[in-house]
Amino acid sequence: MSSQSDNAITIYPAPEDLPPLVRGLLENGEEVIAIARTDLVGSDYGEELVVLTNRRVLAVAEGRETRAIPLAKITAASIRGYINSCVLVVDTDEGSRGFAVFTRARLEAFEKFVTLTNNMVIGGGQYRLMRQVLDRIKRVSVSRGGRAVLVRLLGLLRPVMLLLISSILVAVAIRLLNMLPPYLMKSLIDEVLLNKQADRLFYIIVGLLAVNLVNTGLGTINAYLNTKFNVAIANTLRSKIYSKLHELSLSHYDQFGSGGLWSRIMDDVGRIQWAMQASFRDLFINAATVAFIGFTLVTLNAQLTLIVLLPIPVSVTATTIYRRLSSRYYQRMWRRWSRIVSIISDTINAVILVRSYGKESSFKDSFERYQEEFEKAQMDVFKFEQQIWPASGLAFTASSLLVWWIGGNQVLQGAISLGTLTAFTSYMWMFYSPVFGLIDNIKNLQILSMSASRVFDILDLEPDVVVTPEARDVEIRGDIAFNNVWFTYDGIHYALRGVNVKIRAGERVGLVGPSGSGKTTLAKLLLRLYEPQLGSLTYDGIDVKEIKMDSLKRQVAIVLQNPVLLDATIAENISLGASNAEPEEIIYAAKLARAHDFIMRFPEAYDFEVGMQGSRLSGGERARVALAAALLKNPKVLILDEPTAALDALTEDEVTEELERLTRGKTTVIIAHRLSTLRFVDRIIVMDKGAAVEEGPHEELLKRDGLYKKLWEAQLKGLTRMSQAEAGELYAAQRA
Amino acid sequence: MSSTLHRELRILDPKSVRVTAAYLDEVDVEINGELIQGVRPRKPFPYSHPEIVIFYKGNEEIGILKDYRMLDSESRGTLEKALRIVYFMPEIRKVLSIRWVQGRYEWRVVTDKGEEKFETWSRCVRVLPDGRLVVKDIYSRAYIVEHPEKLDAKSKALLTMMI
Repeated sequence: MSSQSDNAITIYPAPEDLPPLVRGLLENGEEVIAIARTDLVGSDYGEELVVLTNRRVLAVAEGRETRAIPLAKITAASIRGYINSCVLVVDTDEGSRGFAVFTRARLEAFEKFVTLTNNMVIGGGQYRLMRQVLDRIKRVSVSRGGRAVLVRLLGLLRPVMLLLISSILVAVAIRLLNMLPPYLMKSLIDEVLLNKQADRLFYIIVGLLAVNLVNTGLGTINAYLNTKFNVAIANTLRSKIYSKLHELSLSHYDQFGSGGLWSRIMDDVGRIQWAMQASFRDLFINAATVAFIGFTLVTLNAQLTLIVLLPIPVSVTATTIYRRLSSRYYQRMWRRWSRIVSIISDTINAVILVRSYGKESSFKDSFERYQEEFEKAQMDVFKFEQQIWPASGLAFTASSLLVWWIGGNQVLQGAISLGTLTAFTSYMWMFYSPVFGLIDNIKNLQILSMSASRVFDILDLEPDVVVTPEARDVEIRGDIAFNNVWFTYDGIHYALRGVNVKIRAGERVGLVGPSGSGKTTLAKLLLRLYEPQLGSLTYDGIDVKEIKMDSLKRQVAIVLQNPVLLDATIAENISLGASNAEPEEIIYAAKLARAHDFIMRFPEAYDFEVGMQGSRLSGGERARVALAAALLKNPKVLILDEPTAALDALTEDEVTEELERLTRGKTTVIIAHRLSTLRFVDRIIVMDKGAAVEEGPHEELLKRDGLYKKLWEAQLKGLTRMSQAEAGELYAAQRA
Repeated sequence: MSSTLHRELRILDPKSVRVTAAYLDEVDVEINGELIQGVRPRKPFPYSHPEIVIFYKGNEEIGILKDYRMLDSESRGTLEKALRIVYFMPEIRKVLSIRWVQGRYEWRVVTDKGEEKFETWSRCVRVLPDGRLVVKDIYSRAYIVEHPEKLDAKSKALLTMMI
């Protein structure tokens, strides 16, 4: 069992994680749902545990008397907020009473606690459902060990492994070849120039030329393999995630958000691509180079090799300090730069505002001040860097001078040859770069592991909406039944609470209710974009799970509020659900949706490309194209979520009239805030807090004096006020 | 749906339609013997189904020709005269050069109307489902490449860099 926890609240704690104080209080069969921690006890700082179980709400603290209220007595929980402190209030049949006190720092935790308590009071035993959902959410962010992630990533990248190995081998070969010229130079000095062996000069020059030629050839191959490897990694990973995106349930999209998914596909894959090259591949290359050069240095002169190693600890320390402190200097500089950008942007974009309030000189002063502050931040970066890098550079200089001093003396004493010293110093400078590279590589492996872990978060998701092998093609007639359907997106708040709704084939039903009452969730369930977590949804008595997805999506169409279109032509967007539609059918559907006229106003008409997410069309135009797409499918069940929300009053009226005609005899569910859109429906279902609270025809609901009547009257009042305002404007205009 | 659709869309029988005269972007049309003057022909799918034409008199739709090529040859010729004006679009036959100049691409091309020079933004080439290419310049003027496969090697290479 898993739990969701932060410092202030633990939801569904595992029994072994329960504080002993709480564990000792539990009765047989009593389960803890949440433990919230206060940070006040009375008016002093202190901690009290407020515990919600499936039977009671308790307040527990060491050395204090435990308070408990049975859930059966509680009618609601709420929070009273003050300047700094808040009080958890519990309403019972006997009245309201404060139960615990905490500061605003704990407000978010106690809001969750209140929701969970109210869920228990209203939803009874459904807390197990919440737990299941939270468990699923929790599973997504399971932590993985760094090494395990890397091993798994390599497994995933098996198709590009041959490229990786070839790329490493070629790069190592290049590094080794680069080691030859200093050795040849040593021979040139010692054997040819000092010993006057002219016959060997030609061979050494040819050797140097050959090394260069082979190196150039290998360099080209290396660059090719490297590019190929980079592209192959990104393509392999992106393809895997992209195909996973199509399998994910909508709940996963809610959970990660479009930004979260986007960043995993683009940013994390990019980081993996970079880190695979900059850390994993180079790790082998640098390690091989360090080993070879280190061996050569020791072979040439072990004593001097020790001196070569001296500046490394100094430089590693300097780099570590730089990495730790540099971000604060740079971030301050960027922050100050962004203030300059911001004031320029304000000056340009809000020029009328600035001038109408006469703020020019004030803006100029601020600008000057920001410039000065930015300059200071820039100079601070410079000073900081000057404190770090010269010291490091000095260590290298000192080490090389020491090598020349000791090595020079050894040459003068005849202990080593001049060629050996020259070759040694060349190798010395070649040695440092891969050593630092190796340190970087190891650090970068952490980035690789973190990004890979985030990618695996997506790849490991299992769709909620599972297609069973028993699912079959069904010709839907249009009878719909929600049977005690419960649904939650986040495991804390209910979106639907035991909804029981029946819609007859051919019936037109309006769904109304305040925002967040569950109308859209209900509509999404109809298309099986989500699955009921408890209860069932049936079409013509057949559980939706037994109907093939293709079959369902062919016969049920949904037009969502604020529809998003594909970056394609209008014709392609309309024929999305009917790719074989004839051009005249597309025109007909567009005419039905009152879209044809505006489409024909574009020079490219139906071949007009609508841009990303339909950005080249207005909200109303997008809505009409989406409606045309739904109508072209000629669905058995049509779901319209606020179909006229983005339309102006005249078009709304036209579309509503058209909908009346189009939906005759077709099972139709229309969600609407503007109740006038529903004038033609057979029945209205009123949703509130995730439950269907009223249903019936418009006139009948008005007589009931319930929520519908309130909504209706509120809209009438709004209309009246609008009419008065319009009359006022008209009067003023006439007088003018 | 089909008969409703035909009725509601006012799909015209090409045998009952004669295009008698063309004046720039307008034509005179005789439908079932009734003469309607000053009719504007429009293609609802200028790229994907260029054979479909809708006739407009003012803002009112008179009817749709599913394939104007089914008209008698004289009517077709007259209608095409107007369509060539409405859908004026030079056809690129050769690309001489595409240079990047100050954030824009400067094209030098040979079209069926002669040699031309125009500027485009980076994303300017649209590949139609049938493989034809439409290039749009910074003023949204369109140039079509009817047969990309028949272009010379240099033109192909230059165009490929822009797709």
